[in-house]
Amino acid sequence: MASAEGKKDDDMPDFSDVQSGASTTAPGAKVFETYEVKAGDSLSKIAKRLLGDGNAWRKIFEANTDILKDPDKIYPGQKLKIPRS
Amino acid sequence: MKTRVAGLLALLFIGCVACSKKEEAPPPPPVTEPPTTQPAPVGVSGVTLGKSIGADKKVAEPTDVFGAKDTIYASVETGGTGHAKLRALWSFVKGSKTAKVDETTIEFESTAPAVNEFHVSKPSGWPKGSYKVEIFLNDSPDPATSKTFTVS
Repeated sequence: MASAEGKKDDDMPDFSDVQSGASTTAPGAKVFETYEVKAGDSLSKIAKRLLGDGNAWRKIFEANTDILKDPDKIYPGQKLKIPRS
Repeated sequence: MKTRVAGLLALLFIGCVACSKKEEAPPPPPVTEPPTTQPAPVGVSGVTLGKSIGADKKVAEPTDVFGAKDTIYASVETGGTGHAKLRALWSFVKGSKTAKVDETTIEFESTAPAVNEFHVSKPSGWPKGSYKVEIFLNDSPDPATSKTFTVS
């Protein structure tokens, strides 16, 4: 299990199956989950796991063009915005 | 005669000096700016936790004790105007250690009071113990508000 610092901590429970969401009464809001890239991740793997569709990798890439220049180059520890709306 | 001429000259001189002294204009009245009401910056009120929310995004029955299969809602009210980036960081707390449970962000342009909700669920069941949710506003390193809760 990753701790708040992103390090493996076997002493802590596993929260990898947590599902989350958010909404607001404010118009025009964007909602996104923050995902920290782990070793072995790719955008399509993340899209499959978090959005249920590996082809949705482009949505993730487009939401993170401020830190990603190439969709094939992501690095452990990077915090990606996963669009939810 | 000389005395008379000298006296006239003296009078003429005094008159010229008096004429040349300009009267100082009175200071202009202070410029009073029309009262401007600065829009209040975006702010966050406290966070309320519960097991469900209404259509208004508010928690109907606040609680800080949850069961293993509950969906946990955190309702946060915002006000003021400007860009609002509201981040909810959910953590499991065990002694001095914390484990990140989830992190979700809502981003919007605030123009009026709004109610925002974050929720988390865990199909396999929440481990018993202590948790907290911290709400951060606009990349501030310190939470604007936070709440602890337990799963029993």
